[in-house]
Amino acid sequence: MDKRIKLEIKLPLVKDIELVAIEGLELMGRHLQIAEEKIGEARILITEGIINAIEHSENTTPFIDVHFIMNIDALVIIITDYGKGFDPSSVENPEIDKKLSSNYKRGWGLKLMREMSDEFKIDSSEKGTKITITKNLR
Amino acid sequence: MRLDFNLTSNIENNVLVIKTEGYINNDGGEKISKEFEEHFTKGINKVLIDIKSSKVINSIGISYLIEIIEKLNEKNGSLYFCNMDSTIEKTFNIMGLFQFAKKVDSVNEIE
Ligand SMILES: Nc1ncnc2c1ncn2[C@@H]1O[C@H](COP(=O)(O)OP(=O)(O)OP(=O)(O)O)[C@@H](O)[C@H]1O
Ligand SMILES: [Mg+2]
Repeated sequence: MDKRIKLEIKLPLVKDIELVAIEGLELMGRHLQIAEEKIGEARILITEGIINAIEHSENTTPFIDVHFIMNIDALVIIITDYGKGFDPSSVENPEIDKKLSSNYKRGWGLKLMREMSDEFKIDSSEKGTKITITKNLR
Repeated sequence: MRLDFNLTSNIENNVLVIKTEGYINNDGGEKISKEFEEHFTKGINKVLIDIKSSKVINSIGISYLIEIIEKLNEKNGSLYFCNMDSTIEKTFNIMGLFQFAKKVDSVNEIE
């Protein structure tokens, strides 16, 4: 039997809506008895991915799509927006000592997603951005 | 519910202790920053954030913490954290935050 469970939601572009996705993640994790630590890290991945999609994309639809596919080994997170897209290679890698003296203290989301995940892929064009994140759960 | 951010604060041995509760998002970060400013302008330069009851944090909230570190550095002060959940600790580690902020078990550890 395939023990994969899935969640597919359309999230409106509303403040703190990432908490709805996190709630789903936690319930799925509990169902499959995933370690609390792994769920905690997945929480960061989901939060940062959703906030970027809502905050930066200039989305042309009133929603973004969020998909989770989970089994006891891994979680795949797919976050899709329908905005303007961006070129990830042009994003500077943040460094704490530089940020301390800079006016822009932000710019951490992509780094956190990259380092907290096991695979991280960005597909972006002028039609929008899809990020696919894999997090091993064992 | 976890949506609501709240904080309480007190001063112990010249250290401003801020206990947070709930999601440290934009609003949460702003509230921490406001509480900090109020005491910082009166000369407090050691701040401990007890983050035990905050399980969710985002990068926008964290940017306020970086701002606090910057201001404390300028006054030879320090930012400390206690009761950190392992995810938040890992997040701060990735960011290199512990080069400029310290982990402690309690306020008594701060000189
Ligand atoms: N889905 C997206 N659509 C368009 N641009 C994006 C998207 N995601 C990220 N970006 C661009 O990449 C930059 C870096 O994103 P990143 O999440 O690392 O930092 P940030 O969102 O600016 O700040 P932080 O995440 O620390 O709050 C953003 O400022 C934005 O220009
Ligand atoms: Mg971001």
